[in-house]
Amino acid sequence: MEDTKKKEQPTTHKIGIYLWIWGLLFVLSFFSYMVDWFQFQGLLRWSLILIFMFLKAGLIMAFFMHLFWERYALVNVLLWPMTAIACFVGLMVAEFQYTVFTRLFYFFIGG
Amino acid sequence: MSEDFNDKTTIQAQSSETISGGGTGASSDIDYVRPAEVADQDLYHGHSFLTKWVFCQDAKVIGVQYFLLATFTGIIGLILSWLMRLQLGYPELAGFMTAEHYYQFVTMHGMIMVVYFLTALFLGGFGNYLIPLMCGARDMVFPYVNMVSFWMFFIAVAVLLASFFVPGGPTGAGWTLYPPQSIIEGTPGSGMGIILMCLSLVLFVAGFTMGGLNYLITVLQARTRGMTLMRMPLTVWGIFTATVLAMLAFPALLVGGLMMSLDKILGTSFFMPTILQAGEVLDYSGGSPILFQHLFWFFGHPEVYIVALPAFGIISDLISVHARKNIFGYRMMVWAIVGIGALSFFVWAHHMYVSGMNPWFGFFFATTTLIIAVPTAMKVYNWILTLWRGNIRLNVVMLWCLGFIITFVNGGITGIFLGNVTVDVPLSDTYFVIAHFHMVMGIAPLMVIMGAVYHWFPLVSGRFLSEKLGKWHFWFTFLGAYSIYFPMHYLGFIGVPRRYFEMYDSPYVTSAVGMNEFISIAAFIVGAAQFILIYNIIVSLRMGKPAGKNPWKANSLEWHTSTVPPEHGNFGEKLPVVHRWPYDYSVPGAKEDFIPQTTPPSEVAETEIEKT
Amino acid sequence: MADPKIEGYEFKPGYKGMAADAGSDQTLFKGVHWGKAMMWIFLLSDTFIFSCFLISYMKGRGSTPVEWPNPSEVFALHVGGVPVPLLLIAIMTFVLITSSGTMALAVKYGYERNRKMCGWLILATALGGLTFVGMQAFEWSKLIHEGVRPWENPFGAKQFGSFFFMITGFHGTHVSIGVIFLCIYAYKTFAGHYDEGKRGWFTTMKGDYVEIEILGLYWHFVDLVWVFIFAFFYLW
Repeated sequence: MEDTKKKEQPTTHKIGIYLWIWGLLFVLSFFSYMVDWFQFQGLLRWSLILIFMFLKAGLIMAFFMHLFWERYALVNVLLWPMTAIACFVGLMVAEFQYTVFTRLFYFFIGG
Repeated sequence: MSEDFNDKTTIQAQSSETISGGGTGASSDIDYVRPAEVADQDLYHGHSFLTKWVFCQDAKVIGVQYFLLATFTGIIGLILSWLMRLQLGYPELAGFMTAEHYYQFVTMHGMIMVVYFLTALFLGGFGNYLIPLMCGARDMVFPYVNMVSFWMFFIAVAVLLASFFVPGGPTGAGWTLYPPQSIIEGTPGSGMGIILMCLSLVLFVAGFTMGGLNYLITVLQARTRGMTLMRMPLTVWGIFTATVLAMLAFPALLVGGLMMSLDKILGTSFFMPTILQAGEVLDYSGGSPILFQHLFWFFGHPEVYIVALPAFGIISDLISVHARKNIFGYRMMVWAIVGIGALSFFVWAHHMYVSGMNPWFGFFFATTTLIIAVPTAMKVYNWILTLWRGNIRLNVVMLWCLGFIITFVNGGITGIFLGNVTVDVPLSDTYFVIAHFHMVMGIAPLMVIMGAVYHWFPLVSGRFLSEKLGKWHFWFTFLGAYSIYFPMHYLGFIGVPRRYFEMYDSPYVTSAVGMNEFISIAAFIVGAAQFILIYNIIVSLRMGKPAGKNPWKANSLEWHTSTVPPEHGNFGEKLPVVHRWPYDYSVPGAKEDFIPQTTPPSEVAETEIEKT
Repeated sequence: MADPKIEGYEFKPGYKGMAADAGSDQTLFKGVHWGKAMMWIFLLSDTFIFSCFLISYMKGRGSTPVEWPNPSEVFALHVGGVPVPLLLIAIMTFVLITSSGTMALAVKYGYERNRKMCGWLILATALGGLTFVGMQAFEWSKLIHEGVRPWENPFGAKQFGSFFFMITGFHGTHVSIGVIFLCIYAYKTFAGHYDEGKRGWFTTMKGDYVEIEILGLYWHFVDLVWVFIFAFFYLW
């Protein structure tokens, strides 16, 4: 590790911010849990699960991991590679649908 | 335009790129460069033999270590290829070799060459040596981790070679290691062999993550004053982008290898469907072999660009130095490298057109594959345009560059054939594919490696390699490699399958027997010719012509160190300050035909040119 | 949060700033310590590893024509004879998020050079991590007791056990490694290594409070992965 030229303290934030985000994360976790408690099904279940998940992930990344205050160069370098993951996810959804279709068709219906 | 000349007869030599970043406002001092953002690096200097030569933290020593170990594994891969060609060309002489042995040789040859030789050489060898030097840094940013990364690679190679000696021998599943066959009986090495292979790959990935972090952070955060990203030599851009790909693609290999090991060791069914082994139903069910293929090729396609991109970068630098001309279209070359790197994550299933995946995928992947050909072709045009009307020195380095362009174009064009689904279906798993990937990934990058060795040997050792031996080496390799792989395209067209131990007795294949013999002879000769280089290196280390400082009259920072070979810390007391890009060759109006990166604008020696 | 002060460099905001940063010399990430940049890139790579695990899980679960076990039932805890679905998981989530919070505070106090607060908060984080791993081990033993194995299980598709043990195992290993480093860093904090800039044992480089931020990034990543595992494995 190298020394910074001036031993200057990075600016820190008030403790309040962390407590608010902490609280918000608990609220969102509680809501996620409620999705299961109330046994929502289908599209409602999936969309709620995903929304709460991305909100929690976003809060952790932005505030606990400090990305909200970092310069755009860092944020963009970290987030753009997720498009490759998104492409992989999308294609694998199509792939598992095709796999289960061929299995049901050939093993059960008889092709 | 004419108003630029007015009455003067002298032409000002300007640097082609001036500092613009940072927005400090117009600076009246033409030589101004921003002060350093961070203090000079704190380096660890070893004092014992172990800490100076074995566990050395100097990236240059680590680079040479990678180079030597990668070359050693490459020679093993070469010997395996001789054994394969012996079986294919003269099966009666290869009586000692069973089909199982053959498949094991095929597998180990492939895995060694792609991963343990080419990747390790380009990233670990050239990356470690050249990145700090070309960026103007004293060393990599994390020298300790860098040192550990080499020894991880060493252990990975040891585990890989150990698989030759376990019961059942090394895996014979093909370098692609496809389950379910790779872990059930009938495939050679399905016992310990495949487990050691997966373990070796996991260790390799761990080591290269450590190394990769070094290369990336050094390029992004440890450049010297004045060195913007767009002033870096293309060698750095190539290796940097390849490292980004490595960081993002190796995870998929790790996951695939790990899951396959669990299928073998714990009996999980990640990839294993309900399956029979020698008539007996195994305990697996419900798994998906194609999932492995997707994971493997999500890694595998970026992997081939990890091999190709450093080659693209290095060749641009070699051509510009030895043709005394700036690389044509530097910015577009950078964007092409970055673009190819980014796109490489969206083309993987062009290796899976015949796998039985979702039929609609062919449309998507063929499209992206043809798109990725565009920046690649553009680079080829730019290399040719660099050579056009250049002051070409036809020395050994330039010969290798020309050889690269020819073989890469050849291999690239056959890639277009294979990238289209309908053309790929009859050509898949034939010798056409073997010809394609050897041309584009074996021969072409190998030409770059050879050229780079002849080019940078004077820096690393202070002496030239013998030009005469070099030319013999080149002509044997270039003509020989064409003799090996060009006929394979025809073999592929007539349908000769790949990964077959024997050619058997079919009408179309018997016609290929003579071709196979010819290819095998060529392979033996070309392989042997590589030892010319080894002999050249050993002899030149002692008796080569002394090179002195900057013998090629190049611009980039590695030639402007305090000593040759560069010492620990690279640049002596003061780090270099960069004022221009590395391609100021044959600048109109300049006295010399090169202007090093460290030359401030006010110090550029001008020449009086008559206005005609 | 103010941009760091760099002599001779004028910071621009937003995307113009990103372009200016990319076009400038020396560094792309202005004012970012090498170790911090390294940790971010490593986490990006680790994200790809966990993404591949979760994608494989999605593909495996989606492909099987056999019924997938119901997570609400399998992961329920019986409290006083009443099955409470996902109770243990909820507690684990609570613990990990809390430890993430204590870690963020530890980083803050570290930069403010408040050695004591920083050290205790790091220990609190380690305690949270240890509790999480303990609960995960308890959950493993409960499921193993009920007959769930990597190669089969009595509740449904075979792949359930395989993916469960592999993904939670990999995550738990990451948490455990984090706990070990947290304990080491708590010691170094209390012993004043970061105040004095004492040289480390392995790398011989000088210590600095930025190392706490770097470890903090790793810890938040571990929490982030749990958010995804919780959503995809337990809730879905």
